[in-house]
Amino acid sequence: MKELEELHLPDDVRYTDEHEWARVTGDTVRIGVSDYAQDQLGDIVFVELPAIGDSFAKGDEFGTLESVKAVSELYMPMSGEVVAVNTALTDSPELINQQPYDAWIIEIKPADRSEYDQLFSAAAYLDLLKG
Amino acid sequence: MEHTMKTTPLHGWHVGQSANMATFGGYDMPLWYPSGAKAEHLAALTGAGLFDTSHMAVLTLHGPGVRDLLQRTFSKDLERCIGPRKGPLIAGRCVYGVFLDTSGWVIDDAIVYQCTDQDYMLVVNASMGGPIAAHLRQEQQGRPDAKIVDHTDQVGKMDLQGPAAARILTRILANPEQVFEKMVYFSFKGSFNPQRLPADPLTLLDGTPLMVSRTGYTGEFGFELFIAPEHIEKLWNLLLAAGQPEGILACGLAARDSLRAGAGLPLSHQDIGPWLFACNPWLFVLPWNEQGTAFTKEFIGSAALLTAGNAPCTLAYAGFDPRKITISDTSLVTDLDGKPLGTILTCTTDMAIDRVGNAIVSVATPIEAGRSEPFAPRGLCCGFVRVEQKLPLGTEVVLTDGKRKLKVEIRDQIRPDRTARTPMHTML
Repeated sequence: MKELEELHLPDDVRYTDEHEWARVTGDTVRIGVSDYAQDQLGDIVFVELPAIGDSFAKGDEFGTLESVKAVSELYMPMSGEVVAVNTALTDSPELINQQPYDAWIIEIKPADRSEYDQLFSAAAYLDLLKG
Repeated sequence: MEHTMKTTPLHGWHVGQSANMATFGGYDMPLWYPSGAKAEHLAALTGAGLFDTSHMAVLTLHGPGVRDLLQRTFSKDLERCIGPRKGPLIAGRCVYGVFLDTSGWVIDDAIVYQCTDQDYMLVVNASMGGPIAAHLRQEQQGRPDAKIVDHTDQVGKMDLQGPAAARILTRILANPEQVFEKMVYFSFKGSFNPQRLPADPLTLLDGTPLMVSRTGYTGEFGFELFIAPEHIEKLWNLLLAAGQPEGILACGLAARDSLRAGAGLPLSHQDIGPWLFACNPWLFVLPWNEQGTAFTKEFIGSAALLTAGNAPCTLAYAGFDPRKITISDTSLVTDLDGKPLGTILTCTTDMAIDRVGNAIVSVATPIEAGRSEPFAPRGLCCGFVRVEQKLPLGTEVVLTDGKRKLKVEIRDQIRPDRTARTPMHTML
């Protein structure tokens, strides 16, 4: 298990208290899970993805991560419509363990861009993890 | 409750390796190391895995009354339990069975080792040393012909499992040829304490005595090793160094759980426990006569088993992909129409197997038997359910946590091509 100071928490994404991250890429937002989440879960063996076109509100469950330890729900950091899913994760779910910030899970068209600004910065997320 | 958490002598090593730790049986134990549970699970099938199992409890029993005490309490008939001809338990052999209470419910499962005519060793689960010792003492009622010693936390134990296990062990033992000669499945040699439990000498190259038992909890070829706790870290490091060419990995409890579930082995207090020991995959531990119609001896709990009516059935299953159901108060098994059938006891993912057509194939399956090359299994959900009525093999049922639903198939075997019984001479 990583010590908190060993965690990779990049500044180009924002975080939720459920350990998802969101990254703005032009008009869309990509969503994944943090280094802390993948480290806690252990080997990810299956990713359940939503369908393109599905719409979710902020906080809705949009999929699940299946790790050796447990089944974990994934929650929307922002409201929006799914415009892409990372199908590479279907065959290689371990990408989330290997590169948690490259292995995005879904890409959404946000319904309310200002929800991004309400997410945690890397520093605020680290404070949250420190409890 | 942190202050009451127990640790094994290897705890510092686990923490130093940044293992993901969790409580199991009252002990702070590694779930997996940075290599990850999947790599650890696969190592035990393709090379070797090394597991710290010092949380398990060891009892020794001494005296002329021990065999009779075990006959009255343990499910196996020690006079008829070895080999296809059902010979008696003898020195150097061990047997797996259960201890039941008078209701026929499981107190714990155990392996009984016969060291001499009057010295036996029992290995039971974490935190069960005290309860099993108390159970045996109560049955013994103070008679002096069987002395029961609880060695909880006083014996170091580790499991070396996988096809490379004997080759690795050969490199660190003083007399490997002698040790491995005629070492069949469920036999053992040596002693972790030769003064107390006499045995032919079996030592590491530096003379440290240990006991090597050809048993394990993975379904794979390998050994359980017992040594005095002050020597356990030395043995652990010797094995990790000696096993490097075969890619040995230290393995945590997650891999131990997924390996044992795929091998169809029960976890005590989860798959067997305080309910009637009937209609389950492990009835071979009962003292059946040749016809399988009656028991060859009476023991605590046997009368309850013989007079019980229809009991719920425990059955093994495998799914169609790696997805699991987290067991909780709301998880249950239903038929395909959603009618409740029972409860989920174990649900994990065997990461070494996948479906090829209708068959389940493992990384250890020979190519001529259906494995493709390369074979990159996604893993299959598997475990045990307990349902009101016996279901035929091949029946499809649904596991649910109340929200998601997973279809699985009732099976007799889960992971094929397991190596536990492979003849020793082919593994050296």
